Amino acid sequence: MPPWSDFEPFIVSGLALGGVYALSGVGLVVLYRATGVLYLAFGAVGAMGALVAWSLINKAGTPGWVGWLACIAVAAALTFGYGLIFGPALARRDPLVKAVATIGLTLILYGAMDLLWTTSGGQARSLALPTDNGGFAIAQIQVTWTQVIALAAGVVITVATGMFLRYTKLGTAMRAMANDREITATLGVPVRKVEAAAWLGCGVLAGIAGLLLADLVALDATTLTFLVISSLAAVLIARLRSIAVTFAAAIVVGLLHDLLTPVTSLTNYRDMTPFVLAAAALLVMPRRRVMTQSREEA
Amino acid sequence: MRDTITRARPRTISQNTSRPQLIKTAITTALVLFTLFGLPELLSLYYIDTMTQVAVYSMVTLALGVLVGRVGLVSLGQVAVLAIGAWVAARLLFATTQPYPVILLEAGLITMVAGMVTGLPALRLRGLYLALITLMLAGGITVVLATVNFPNGGHGFLGYNGSLVHIPPIRRPGIAGSDPAYFRYAVIVAIVMFALVYAHIKTRPGRAWAAIRQSEPAALAAGINVTLYKLWALALASFITGVAGGVLAGAVHYLYSIGFPTQDSITLLAVTLMGGVYSMWGAVVAALLYQFLPALLNNWGVSADWLIILFGLGVLQVLTTAPAGLADQVPRDLARLGRRLSKRKTT
Repeated sequence: MPPWSDFEPFIVSGLALGGVYALSGVGLVVLYRATGVLYLAFGAVGAMGALVAWSLINKAGTPGWVGWLACIAVAAALTFGYGLIFGPALARRDPLVKAVATIGLTLILYGAMDLLWTTSGGQARSLALPTDNGGFAIAQIQVTWTQVIALAAGVVITVATGMFLRYTKLGTAMRAMANDREITATLGVPVRKVEAAAWLGCGVLAGIAGLLLADLVALDATTLTFLVISSLAAVLIARLRSIAVTFAAAIVVGLLHDLLTPVTSLTNYRDMTPFVLAAAALLVMPRRRVMTQSREEA
Repeated sequence: MRDTITRARPRTISQNTSRPQLIKTAITTALVLFTLFGLPELLSLYYIDTMTQVAVYSMVTLALGVLVGRVGLVSLGQVAVLAIGAWVAARLLFATTQPYPVILLEAGLITMVAGMVTGLPALRLRGLYLALITLMLAGGITVVLATVNFPNGGHGFLGYNGSLVHIPPIRRPGIAGSDPAYFRYAVIVAIVMFALVYAHIKTRPGRAWAAIRQSEPAALAAGINVTLYKLWALALASFITGVAGGVLAGAVHYLYSIGFPTQDSITLLAVTLMGGVYSMWGAVVAALLYQFLPALLNNWGVSADWLIILFGLGVLQVLTTAPAGLADQVPRDLARLGRRLSKRKTT
């Protein structure tokens, strides 16, 4: 077991990573509750946005903030567009079919990214935010502003989404749709509009997550596309339901993953953290056994 | 009374084969004979290797098709199962001098046990959760494989020689040393696996799976042991995928953990859906899409990324308009086109 001082820097990086997983997870849960779609292309649209931002900043020479906004705009537009076209078309299908359809979008984006930003040249891309340089030290641990922003974004998004769902009219409509789409529609809620709002919100979060992960982890299509699996683990632990549990699980996943880094016997296996936690949570936790034909229980 | 007895014996019905059934059997037999004897003579070595891969992956897509199409269990981790089969086969091939078919059987059985041990708790979950947990398990297996590596003639339980010098190739069966011979060998193994699945579909398990796919509560009410038959499907799929892994080990001679990434499981599900999960031809179409098309494009100098995009579009198309996949859609559309053309001639 390495000394405690070896772990200290990884607490900070783990919390930052957990913050981004949390904001991704919250986006996934809200979209799932509102539309029944588990959005597996969340990582891919974020990666697409980050690569567009990289091209704008490094090839077109635009100022940084244009690139960052473009990243969020691309992810939001892709998600919103997919939601408009395939949301209604698949609305009455099983949640499993809806989730597999987003795999189609993932593959399209993944192929396009590999085609447009080829990785075979060997040049590694990076998307550095100006907040990387500044920072401060807590008890001799260096903390960058990007890490602070990542954790803060996770906390703020979780709290804000919780308030939004509880106190606004749109949020109430979303919660109603989560319970029953048909009845909500009968009550006069504009179902399509509420769904569109959920898609847009999820897309914006995907863009923010893509931007932060491109800086914190790596700007690489494969890595960013499949990092969604870590947020997915947090979402699964929360049973696609509670955003508070999603937040807590995401922080644990991020923290545990990074804290295993200095442990030599386990460092190679640290990427298993989200899988093991999610599998254990799903298999051990008791669940209601309700058999209904019409609806998959959540 | 006599009527009910005959109805209770499905064999009497199937003995009375209709003409389309006969034509189908004749076409299948002709295709199999051509694949075994004609194809290796016509193709270059590059395409023979490719077609060996097609034979291997047709077993993998067949197994996935059984899970998705027959029982309604979506697995996002089949490439990890294939990797387990290849690992076990490679380890046994280096450790023993057993004949190849025995090794294949053992690889299939060990993979089957591994699949059932991990699958039994996962079967408590349904639908979306089951699909996601297979993705999680596959991710975990990929991480373990990256550290453990594939056996390459080293010592110890893992059989990995880290110094990477004098690495012997994984052996092939004595009768199938050359590439064309090994291709035939792979095709014959695949045919046995297809026959195994056919036997299941036409008998009791197939009917139980069809009932479960329609409605799990109704199947339960009809007295079908849902857990048993789901586990049976999982065992069959793991066994076939394990055997495919064994054939793959001999086909490539050297195995590397980077050859089995998690994202391939996702692509595999995409091509299986595109090929069609309700017919066994779908598995062959899917394997051709997955292995033959990339080789063809590579030969033409077209990037394989276009194929990934195509698979993505294919999944969306299959899920929105053609649930039975290409294996069903193309013949039906061709028949419709034929009818339309003949109608035009008469008028």
